[in-house]
Amino acid sequence: MVKTAAGEIGIAVAEAIRDAMTKATAGATIATYIEGKPPVAWEVLGDAGWDLAGVIEDEDSTSLRDLVEIAGAWGETLIQLPLVTSLAVKRHSVAAAEAEGPVTLSVPVRTLPNGTGFVPFGQVPGISIIDSVADGSPVRAFEGGNPLDFAPSLLAASSPGTTSLSAEARRELAVIWAAEAAGRAAKVLQEAIEFTKQRQQFGKPVGSFQAVKHHLANAHIAAEVAQTAAIWASLDDASTRQAVAQSFAQSLKSVQLSIQTYGGLGFTWEMGLHFSLRHITTLRELAAGVLNDA
Amino acid sequence: MPTETETASRKGFAEAARQWLEENVPERWRTHRSVMTEEEGYEIRREWDRQLHRGGYAGLSLPKEFGGQGLDVAEEVIFADLAGRAQAPDGLARIGRILTAPTLVAHGTQYQLGRFLPKILNGDEVWCQGFSEPDAGSDLAGVRCRAVKVDGGYAVTGRKIWTSFASVADRCLLLAQTDPAAARHKNLTMFLLDMKQPGVSISGIRQSSGLTHFAEVQFDNVFVADEDRVAGEGDGWKVAMTVLANERGGVEAASRYVEIRADMDSLQRAIGHLPEYQRQLEDYDSRVELIRWQVMKSIDYDKDSAEFLKAASVLKLWWSELWQQIAELGLETADATNVEHWRLQYLETRAASIYSGSSEIQRNIISERILGLPR
Repeated sequence: MVKTAAGEIGIAVAEAIRDAMTKATAGATIATYIEGKPPVAWEVLGDAGWDLAGVIEDEDSTSLRDLVEIAGAWGETLIQLPLVTSLAVKRHSVAAAEAEGPVTLSVPVRTLPNGTGFVPFGQVPGISIIDSVADGSPVRAFEGGNPLDFAPSLLAASSPGTTSLSAEARRELAVIWAAEAAGRAAKVLQEAIEFTKQRQQFGKPVGSFQAVKHHLANAHIAAEVAQTAAIWASLDDASTRQAVAQSFAQSLKSVQLSIQTYGGLGFTWEMGLHFSLRHITTLRELAAGVLNDA
Repeated sequence: MPTETETASRKGFAEAARQWLEENVPERWRTHRSVMTEEEGYEIRREWDRQLHRGGYAGLSLPKEFGGQGLDVAEEVIFADLAGRAQAPDGLARIGRILTAPTLVAHGTQYQLGRFLPKILNGDEVWCQGFSEPDAGSDLAGVRCRAVKVDGGYAVTGRKIWTSFASVADRCLLLAQTDPAAARHKNLTMFLLDMKQPGVSISGIRQSSGLTHFAEVQFDNVFVADEDRVAGEGDGWKVAMTVLANERGGVEAASRYVEIRADMDSLQRAIGHLPEYQRQLEDYDSRVELIRWQVMKSIDYDKDSAEFLKAASVLKLWWSELWQQIAELGLETADATNVEHWRLQYLETRAASIYSGSSEIQRNIISERILGLPR
């Protein structure tokens, strides 16, 4: 039996992120900020040193399992800032770790033509990019590409060329993105539970109807297992690919079921639930992109 | 959360248990269990309970003061997993060890602890569980089996159903109605009833697969002494909840994992080379592994924490519905070499979404008790 729990460092950073972001968003819904200004400035994350939380110095440094915890907490926020991407890049590139501010990368994805990369947060002013995680490969300023707006939470751009990654960096990026998606699924479920307790139809909260309850029970199972699959992926090198695939499948299943319980409200732009679907399906593309780029 | 030391001790425990199982699982059981008579099977299984006790593997998570090993649920889970892999027999003491013992530790009197626990642990007394009735499955408030006060105890009359081990049981953990006038959930009492008395009649229930795992039990004026009542009159509901909390957990999921893994492996050997099933097999395979990871994740939480309940609550639905899907695909793709197995397994797994709390009840439990949705 493997120990599956995260270490102290993972738990502490995840908790700190949760607390700070809950305060920063002050209960505002995602829909109110996701297409405008982030509710918190990058400096807040940078000053806390969270973008360097993944840097490996010795055997007590953050493990991939810890990063699953941290990425999960970040996934709960869905704030359009490049924290998880930057943290992962700075873990694998010395030059990125030494650079000020956020750093991103360019990933080959199936939905873009060959030779064109997907740059998460490429629309963030002043963001840097690496062309390779190899030692000695420098960081450069990203000169904006073409905006990719399907998932506003990722502020992405497309750009010629893709970042050269080590096998380990590819694996870790896929696991971290899966964990982020699982965190998002858990949060969407939590909000759906609150919504169905409040929303009245036929003179009762809709959350008291068994059909709705069973949807949410299934959403709970899927969200639980999505996180478990991300943990599995982080601890079992040989199973990364299948565990990541299963994690994304379960996260999406969970979010889809949660959205169903909102009725018509769930598929309005204004309610903003679609931002989670956009975010998770895009992370899934990115994970497939790095895993298939071997 | 497990500390590093705990993890090291778990490793040591697993190593020792693996070796013990290797040396102690009866060879005849490994090789001939599907062709032996029922009597021989029972004999080997009863002896297995005694072997476990002699080896120090009975009552792993029971406190030492009650004759257990004083370890954690984690060790129970590790042992269940290893025993499955080693093709160990399923002893007859399971109900006593997993259900009666923890219930007595929580609610039993000194007399009951002293009288029953040693014989549960050493394999001398076999227990069965008398909760379900023909008209009361998941709805225990519908229990109609009556226990009427008589001199020195109670006289029990009624029917129980789905009783495993009934034909070999010495005692029954029995839920009966003591006060028909009392409110729902206040009218039940738990008893420790002697099965080897006149007035107890047992008839096997043959299932759709052709196998007989369960029995129906008829009680006709059967005596149970005051001292064999658990907690007070009317406390039966509360006591039953303790029992059910022990029934639906990681230990069960861990032993199921081993069986389901074996079925998954057979399926992959049979159709793994066919491209049209690749995607489905990979999906099933991942979900089988996730039974194990979900169990491991849940036992790393403190067992009184909300996280533990959240994680453990999904296990039963996860493995039972997956197992049905695996058996369905097994049957659909069966050939002459394995059709017997898949026909049996297909029919057997139909029941997996009913026993140990039906899928619908499980979803009610998750939505009401874990997610806090209104009733």
